[in-house]
Amino acid sequence: MTFEELWEHEERQGLQQRLQQDYPAWLRRRRTALATVVSVAVVSVAAGITLSTLHSPLATYDAVACNRSGIAEGHWADVAANILIMNSEI
Amino acid sequence: MKKTLLILLPLMLLACSREVEEVPLYRQYAARQDLTVAQVKGFQLCDTVKTDVVILVADDSVAWQGLKEEFDIRTSEGITSWMGDIDEPANRVKRSVRPAWRAMAIHTDRTIAFYRIDTEEQREALLNYQLNNLENNK
Repeated sequence: MTFEELWEHEERQGLQQRLQQDYPAWLRRRRTALATVVSVAVVSVAAGITLSTLHSPLATYDAVACNRSGIAEGHWADVAANILIMNSEI
Repeated sequence: MKKTLLILLPLMLLACSREVEEVPLYRQYAARQDLTVAQVKGFQLCDTVKTDVVILVADDSVAWQGLKEEFDIRTSEGITSWMGDIDEPANRVKRSVRPAWRAMAIHTDRTIAFYRIDTEEQREALLNYQLNNLENNK
């Protein structure tokens, strides 16, 4: 084996050893980062849904059911209030 | 990670769910394609009194005509109101009957709202709600 071949062989061996040592740590770091990103995304989406479904503490109702989607809950409380206000017949 | 998600997701879903216990009147009309139906649970009449309200909105004049016939509404202008039987709101009952629905039909909006009256307190609160607003509108 020539000096150059020996040098190349040692270099490869060194590189492999370093990879063997570093790869598991890199893999752990990657898993942790991925878990953090997924957790943040899940919490954000859930928080967004929660906020969008909660009504203001000043709202005048507990909950609303509707057979059509896309109509704000507060609209129905307003309708209930407006009809009472409009009706002068006691 | 999976364990965290398994704990986190049900908790979030629980926080998001605010199921409304649907009254028979809502259930009866919710399946109709020609009506928009809503139920407001715990509609606040004053600081201490709440009631449930069911609202039927006819999507077009044909549906409104059908509703008028179902609830025996003979006028075509302004607001028609009556006290309706709790199980058959089209049937008129005396003002003293409890529980009952206080129904109000608004012709221009093709809308009927039913306010559930179980107690004297609710009846008074409903009247006061109207009176206070009438005075405010003067």
